[in-house]
This record gives sequence, C-alpha cells and structure tokens, in this order.
Amino acid sequence: MSDPVISLRGLSKRFGPVWANREVDLDLFPGRVHALLGENGAGKSTLMSILAGRYGADKGTLMMHGQEVTFSSPAKALDHGIGMVYQRFMLIESMSVADNLALTVGKKYGRRGVDYEIRQTAEQYGLAVDPEKRIFELSMGERQRVEIIKLLMLDAEVLIFDEPTSVLTPPEVDALFVIIDRLRGEGKTIVLITHKLEEVLKLADDISIMRKGRLIISEPIDARQMSRQQLARLMVGRDVVLRVDKKEVALGETVLALDGFSGDSPSGGPSFNEVTFEIRKGEIFSIIGVAGNGQTGLVSAIAGLSRAGAGTITFDGTSYTAREWAMASAAEIAYVPEDRYQSGSIGSMSIAENFGLTRLQAYRSGLAGLLLDREKMAADGRRAIGEHNIKVESSEASAGSLSGGNLQKVILARELTRKAKLFIAEQPTQGLDISATEDIWQALLECREKAGVLLVTGDLKEVLSLSDRIGVIFNGRILEIIDAHDSDRVDRVGLLMAGVRS
Amino acid sequence: MIRVAKRKQPLRYQGAVATFSAVAIALVVGCVIFAALGVNPLTAYTAMGKGVLSSVDAFSEVLVKATPLIFTGLAVATAATMMLWNIGAEGQLVWGGIFAAGTALFLFPGLDGWLLIPLVLAASALGGVVWSLIPALLRAKLRVNEILTTLLLNYVAIIYMEHLFYGPWRDPAGYGFPGTAQIPEAAQLVRFAGTRISIGFPLALLCAVFLYYLLKKSIWGYQVQVIGKEQRAAHYAGFNVTGKILTVMALSGAFAGLAGMTEVCGIHYRLQTGLAVGYGYDGIIVAWLAGLNPLAVPFAAILLGALFVGGEQLQSVLGLPSSISLILEGALLFGLFAGQTLARYTLTFSSRSEVPS
Amino acid sequence: MIEDLTFIAQISIKSSVAVLLATVGGIITERSGVLNLGIEGMMLVGALAGFAAGHFTQSPVVAVAAGTMAGGALSLVHAFFTIALRSNQVLSGLALTILGTGLANFLGRPLIGQTGVRIRQLPIPYLSDIPVIGEVFFNQSPFAYAAYLLVPLAWFVLFRTRTGLVLRAVGEDARSADVAGVNVELTRTLSVFVGGLFAGLAGTYLSLSYTPGWKETMTGGQGWIAIAMIIFCTWNPLLAFFGALLFGGLTALQFFFQATSMDLIPSYVLKMLPYLLTIGVLVLVSASSRHRKSASPADLGVPFYREL
Repeated sequence: MSDPVISLRGLSKRFGPVWANREVDLDLFPGRVHALLGENGAGKSTLMSILAGRYGADKGTLMMHGQEVTFSSPAKALDHGIGMVYQRFMLIESMSVADNLALTVGKKYGRRGVDYEIRQTAEQYGLAVDPEKRIFELSMGERQRVEIIKLLMLDAEVLIFDEPTSVLTPPEVDALFVIIDRLRGEGKTIVLITHKLEEVLKLADDISIMRKGRLIISEPIDARQMSRQQLARLMVGRDVVLRVDKKEVALGETVLALDGFSGDSPSGGPSFNEVTFEIRKGEIFSIIGVAGNGQTGLVSAIAGLSRAGAGTITFDGTSYTAREWAMASAAEIAYVPEDRYQSGSIGSMSIAENFGLTRLQAYRSGLAGLLLDREKMAADGRRAIGEHNIKVESSEASAGSLSGGNLQKVILARELTRKAKLFIAEQPTQGLDISATEDIWQALLECREKAGVLLVTGDLKEVLSLSDRIGVIFNGRILEIIDAHDSDRVDRVGLLMAGVRS
Repeated sequence: MIRVAKRKQPLRYQGAVATFSAVAIALVVGCVIFAALGVNPLTAYTAMGKGVLSSVDAFSEVLVKATPLIFTGLAVATAATMMLWNIGAEGQLVWGGIFAAGTALFLFPGLDGWLLIPLVLAASALGGVVWSLIPALLRAKLRVNEILTTLLLNYVAIIYMEHLFYGPWRDPAGYGFPGTAQIPEAAQLVRFAGTRISIGFPLALLCAVFLYYLLKKSIWGYQVQVIGKEQRAAHYAGFNVTGKILTVMALSGAFAGLAGMTEVCGIHYRLQTGLAVGYGYDGIIVAWLAGLNPLAVPFAAILLGALFVGGEQLQSVLGLPSSISLILEGALLFGLFAGQTLARYTLTFSSRSEVPS
Repeated sequence: MIEDLTFIAQISIKSSVAVLLATVGGIITERSGVLNLGIEGMMLVGALAGFAAGHFTQSPVVAVAAGTMAGGALSLVHAFFTIALRSNQVLSGLALTILGTGLANFLGRPLIGQTGVRIRQLPIPYLSDIPVIGEVFFNQSPFAYAAYLLVPLAWFVLFRTRTGLVLRAVGEDARSADVAGVNVELTRTLSVFVGGLFAGLAGTYLSLSYTPGWKETMTGGQGWIAIAMIIFCTWNPLLAFFGALLFGGLTALQFFFQATSMDLIPSYVLKMLPYLLTIGVLVLVSASSRHRKSASPADLGVPFYREL
C-alpha cells in the first residue's frame, strides 16, 4: 500500500461535557474506499466534519501527505483537496446548477469557464446533469451528482460521503456505486460514512468502526473478510438480535378503509392518487416507499391534519368523504409523526407538558373545563418514564434535553395512552440506535393487540420485521399490496420501491 | 473575530443575566453621552436618582408613568407569547382613549361613577380590540405580516384622533386649544391621596396577575404557548391557530386600550395631543425586558418609568434634553440582546487563522 | 388639465425619491438574509446628520456625505447585534428605530428652526426641454437623478455579477454558501451597511431637498412604507420604482387637493391614505402569493451559525 493521504493522530472533539471524538488515529489511502461505520451518535459525522473543516478539533493533529494542516473553514479544507458530500446537500435550491457551481468554483474558472468545466467533468466521470436546471427541479440522485461535480471541479483528492444512500432509490444507489467505483479508479480517496452493512461489504476496501467517540478498530482491515454478524457486533458492542418477538394476534374488525383516496401534500409536495387499502385490528399494515413519493401527504390526510381532494374514508364503521373527514375529530387516532423534534414534541417544554399536546381533552378541569390539570399531566409523564424505561431524572426535564431514542419513547408513550383504534407510526425509528429501535418495535407489536397499526417507513428491514401486510408506494400510488408471509413476493419490495413492476 | 457557539443549556439565571446586562450597558452608554456633553456622568446620574427617589411625590410620578407601560407591556407580551408582533399598541391605546372619551363625553355623560367607570373601562378595551382585530384578521385569513400592519395602523389611529380633537370633538369653550372638553367627574379615576396615581395602577397589576394565571393554568394558555414555541407541533396537535391569533390579538389590544383609558380618565381628563407619546412602542421594551413574563412586566415598567422621570429631572436640573431617556431606552434593548446572547451562547474571541486548540 | 397632470406627476416623482432609495437599500439588505426594521431610524438619523453638516459647513457635498454615512454607521449597530451576536432581527430592527429616533430627537433639539443648506431642483440641459417628460423626470433634484442611476445599478449588481450571486446565495441558504467558501458574516455585514447608506441618503434627501429643515417627525413612517414596498416589489429593485411611485402619487394627490382647495376627500382621510394603501398593497401581495412560492429570500431573518 502507498503512503496515506490523510493521517489523523489523537484527534479529540468535545461538545460541552460530551466527547464526540476521543483520541482518534486514522489513515486514509489513495485509490481506496474507506468505510466508517458506527451507530448514531458514535461520532462518525463529527470526525469527518473536522476533516472537512466544519469543526475545529480540540486536540490532536491532522496530517496531509505527511504535513500538519489545520482548516478554519470548509473552504480551506477544499483548498487542500478535501471535500464532503453532506447528508443535507449544500446547494441553493432556488438557483441553477451552473449558478451553484459558479458560487464555489467561479473564482477559479470565471463564469463562462464554469459551464465548460461542468460539461467536461460530467463527461469524464459519467455524471449526467443539466446545468441550466434549478436545484429544486432535480431528483435527490441528481443533486448528489451536482455535489460530486462540485468537488471534482475543485480537484478534490479526498471525497467524504455522509450516508449517501439514505435519500436514494435503489437504482440511484446502484448508479452511485458505479460512480464511486470510477472515482476510486481515478485514484481518489473515498470515505463512506454509513451504518448500512450491505454497502460496506459491497464497496469498501478498508473499514473503521466507531463507538462512543472512539475508533475501536483503528487499523484498516479488509472489509471483505468480515461477516455481517462480526461487523454488527463490533458496531454495537454486543450481539445484535435483529429479530423481534412477534406473537400471533387474531384479526379483529376493520378499523380503517380508504377507497380512491387522492390529494395533495399540504406543503406542495408530491400528491397521492387513488389509494385504496384497509387495516384491521390486530395487524400492522406498512406503507413502504422512498421519501417523497406522496406518503407525507397521505398520512397527513389520514390523520385529519390536511384535507384530501377525493375518495372516501371509513373509520370504525362510519364512512366519510374527504371533506367530512378533515372536519371530523381525529380523537380516535394516535399518531407518531416523522418529525419528532418540531412536530411530535416541544423541546422547550417539560416531558409532562408534552403529554398535553395531543391529550388536552384528558386534562381539562375546573371552570367548565377551561383549566389545565397539571398534576395529572405530571403523573402521566412519570408513569411513562417508568413503563418505557426512559432515561431521565424527572418528568419536569425538558423534552429537548432527551436523546432521540428517549424522546421518541415519550411520544410513543403519549400516543399509546390515547387508547386509539388506529395507531399511525411514521418513520418511527429513523436515526435511532439499535436498542431504541428494538424497544419501539416491541411497543408497536404490542400495540397491534389492541388497535390497527399503520406503519409508514422507508426502511425495508423494519417493514420485514414488523408487518403483516405491505403496501409499496411509488409516485403517489400503491403499486401492490403484499402479504408479509409470501416470501417470493416480499423479495420484490425493493424493486417495487424503485417503480419497477415486472 | 468572535466565535459564537450555542450553549447546550442556557445559563441558569438567563433572565437575570440579560436584565443586568441591559441596565449595565444603558448606564455605560449614558456615561458616554454625558461625558460627550461635558457633564460629569456621576452628577447626571445623581440628578436622575434624586429626581426619582427624593420624595414620595417624585416616586409617585414613576408609578404614574409605569401604569400605561404595564398595560402596553402586557399587550406586547401577550402577542409575543404566540410569536406575534404587536407593534400597534400605540394605535390601540389611541383607540382605547377615543372610545373612553367618547363614552364619557357623548354616550353616557350623565351616568353615576359606579356605572360609568365600568362602561368606560369596557369601551376602552373594546376600542383596543377593534383596532387589533384588523391586523389579526389579515394575518389569520390572508397571512399578511402583522409587524407592518400593526405599525402602519398607528399612524392612521393618530391621524384620526387628531382629526377628532381638532375637528368635531374640539371643546367649543377651549379657546381653540386642540383637545376635547374635560370628561365628567364621574368618569375620572380615583387618585391615591395627594398623588397622580389613579386606580389604574392596581388595575394594571391585576391584569398582569390575570395574564400570568391565564397562560399557566388554562387550556387556552397552554395552546397559545405551544403555538408560540412550535407552530408545527400545534398543527400536528390539531390546535386552531387561526382562532388563537384572533383571541390573542384581541386580548393584546384590550390591554393596550386600557392604557388609553387610564391616560384619558386618570391623567389628562380629555382627549388631547399628549395621549400618543410612544407608550405603545415602549411596551415592546417593557415586554422583552420582562422576558415576556407577565409577573415581571410591572417591574420592567417601573424601571422604564423611572428612566422617564429621571430624564425629565435632567432637563430641569442640568438643562439636558429629556429625550436622552429615548436613547437610554434603545441602549437598554440592545444591552438586553447582548445579555441574551451571553446567556445562550459562549463567545470566544479569536483570530480566524489561529489554530483552534 | 395637462399642466395639472404634469404637476401631479412631477410631485409624485419628487415625493417618491426617499421611499425609493430606502426600498432599494432594504432590498440589498434583505437579499443577504438580514431583515432590518430600523430603516425609519436610519433615515431619521441620516436626515439629521445631513442637515446638521449642511448647517455647520454650508457644503452640500459634506452634508450628503454625512447624512449617508450616518445611516450606514447606525446600520452597523444592527449588523453587530444580528450577525455577530445572533440577536433576533425583528427586535434589533425595532430597537434600532427607537435608538435612532432617540438620537435624532436628542441631538437635533438645538437645530429645530435653524436653516441649513438646500439642494434645489436642477433641470438637466436639453432633457428637461422635452415636453411633459422633461418637466416630470428631468426637472428634479440631484437626489432623483442619483436614484435613477442607483436603482438599475442595484439590479445589475444583484442579478448580473458575482458579488450579487454571492449576496443572494447567502440570503437563500447561508449554510450552503458557507460551505461554498463564502464569508457569510462579512457579506451580510456589508449588505446591511449598504442598506444603511441608502437609508441615510434617503433621509438626507428629506432634510436637504424635499422639506428642507429639521423636524423630529419628518420621516413620517416612510421607512416603514419602504419595508412594505420591499415585499410589494418582490425583492426586485426595478419594481421598486412602481412601489415608490404608488406612494409618491398619493402624496402628490394630497398636495394637489390642498393646493386647489378641493375638498372632495377630507384632508385627514388623505393623510391616512398612504398608510392604508400600503396595508392594501400588503394584503394584495399576500392574497396573490398564497398559492405560489414566495419570492422572499429563503433565509431571511434566520441567523447563521457555523457550528450546527
């Protein structure tokens, strides 16, 4: 192996009292893909952000070609040839591809030179993209390509990808892998931050695993010699049982039935068309799809938060038109929303106060029910902390001080206490670590004993672990509804998510 | 180069830090101005302090000034709790004054005090409500930015009030003095022995306590706070945001309207030029100085009142324009921002090229 | 009849200059993502500084420079608090107006009733001889001519240069601009400063040319109207002409009715009209933009932190 391009020695970074990175040593080599693995909060993104100049390190050194360097900003890191493709793309949506690139590289090439360089670079690496299109008109895969072109136009040697596949459809993932392979062939150094083991096994030459801010495998090792189980154990620090305890539950009455349900997303997102399915008590019905295929608008309309345009909805035996449903009270529906930080909870309020959000009717007291029963709220908060093993000192702690997993448990606990006939969970374990995920899966499985559960997610593993039936959504339509026990058809879910109907 | 990083938890006494910084920075700015004018800052502050604390009479004037400030401070704080900007307390105060004067002078001039005062009270609140509901409706139904509408309506209210007391409502026996006739004695608020403090002051305190409990203990208050903190959570929870915009702005306008009433019925006894002197804008400072806490509003109002009375003293003792208090007000607000930043962020001063270590 | 219309048109232009300059300055500031509600305060301080400098030096050039710089200087207070200290932009802007009003009141007290320099109408040779158009557009004060140049120039810089690209990028998405190597803080500070210069110039126009003299109420809410006009003209300097003319036209009508003592409309209603009309304009804009993407810079009012 040749000399490393990048060497980190004893790198440490602290956020307040918490060490995000501690004494990290790492070498990156040219022409190799280095996978950086770890659970959420393990410190992967922080480490790479230091390398890309977004954060300064508190301790340790960063060497490039054997020379010590420090970057005070991402731009400085780019000057040295280190660039990062962030999970949230750093592109200005209202501007064209060419303007975006001109912003970064305009000084180097001049405005006219930029257009020429875009075509050159795109051709050289097989990254097709229309320079005149505005970013918001592009698909996620195309946006990612713009980011890669940006780094290449700056002659980046080191390209860091932060969970690059999380927003892509399966065919786009394959295309990305081809691109990465090509970059490797050109002698670039690639870092792949991920927690998806399949990607590592497919693509990586070297591998590092982080846990709680430390690099637990500090020597690069050949990824192909490891098994999935080994990798997973190294990541979590214990054996992972990704199987859940799924009891058989007898099906009950139909809780929810949609017929020809169509409408727009409230925020102008993609619409959903002619959605028809039913959910019975005792089952988990999943809607799986890549983000942005109409599921946000669909869930919002089912939960009664926005009005669908057409179709009927039957809930607990009563039929409503789309308009009537939006007017009707949604008291019987529990709903764990995708955005747990801004929608599902209020960070600056206490855990107890967060219980009032959807359960206000239960806390009415005094004076014709105009007053708020704070005692009862606090009692509910305390009970939830005990029952769901939420790690916090008291129910008076602010929701914002909780970790993602604990916060999600608070929201879940609150929605469970509503004892609703329909329970909607939207991306319930997104971004959570394995142990919190297991707890939430267990709770959802228990929940179906008393209610019908609608699970909306993009996580195939989640769907396969929990569902009884699976509806695949693509481009606003449910392409197929598949019985989870039908293993032949279940294999096709991935293809269906990409819109491939064979 | 100042590097700013968010603290994980804000400082424990962030309110106190911010207020302290506000006062400290205002004092420093004052020192600079006094020194620039060739006045010993110590002399100037002594004059201000004496003016405020030397006698019961002097201090009572502070409470007189604080009375409308409590109301307008509550008005701004009520709206700001829901992240609405009511910059229109000035105009709502004017309408409160117009309604109060109109009720006392023209609607029920002959009534006894025990009946007339409550009527005037209700009328002035109504006046404020009417004026605040215009921007509220525009915001709720058409999403028109309320900062600009509330503010622009101030000019309209003042022009209309001037039209009234220069025109149709002018006192025929007033020798051309711009103002209405004096309101009947029955409508004049009772004053505390020998001072100009009217029952408007305890009423203002009562309103502050009322608002505190309304926000803390009622379902309405809970919803208003949720909407103020996190719009998306309120939508998720299915709260009626449109309705809350209307009720919050109405309550806000009612407080401001009451300020107009205490000025007309407690101080001037008529509608005249001195009514719109900026208490509505000062309410913004009071509310934020109080950290939007209704119980802290009276203290912030008294602090500002003392600043005004002190400023007047500077004029009479040292011959400095009393508008220095306006500058100090601005400095108070900016000092408050500095304090808020201190409480929420850590600041480190470093040059950009320096190695972060 | 044609004389009346020419008169109204000429006064319309004359009355719209301050709002126009302040609006364009505000657009530059807001395009970079900073909301500055302190325009009224900066105009007032600019008006006072311009008047005072003229009063003491009798030099129009010094007067204009002083007024303009005063607006710029005050804007730096806003820049410091909102950009360096991340204070709330709405509050800081309001505080700036309060501070500016206080400063102008306090420092201007001795100058009330004094005379300063006056910048008069300056007909442009040949151009002002064109019938009607010459009288309306080219028989104005130098401030109006400056505005004729500055408005298209602002548009050109914003939409046709790299500087403008950087400035708009910062206003649309500060984080992405930062990663692209743009100095967000510096760009925003300069934009706020330029906006302050414009507001100062607008104020100077009021105290040196439009209504020569010093009065504490001389801006009369024009700074606030300018802020509304920014929204009305969808953050495009070229459209600011129309927004400002709307305001100027109403003011001119007011003059016309007064001059001809027609009382078709009572004078107090006429006085209210600019404010009511501005509210009307805001309603119109909101109603028409309900279903399409707002033209507002996406990061307007959002403070920028690197470490997030």
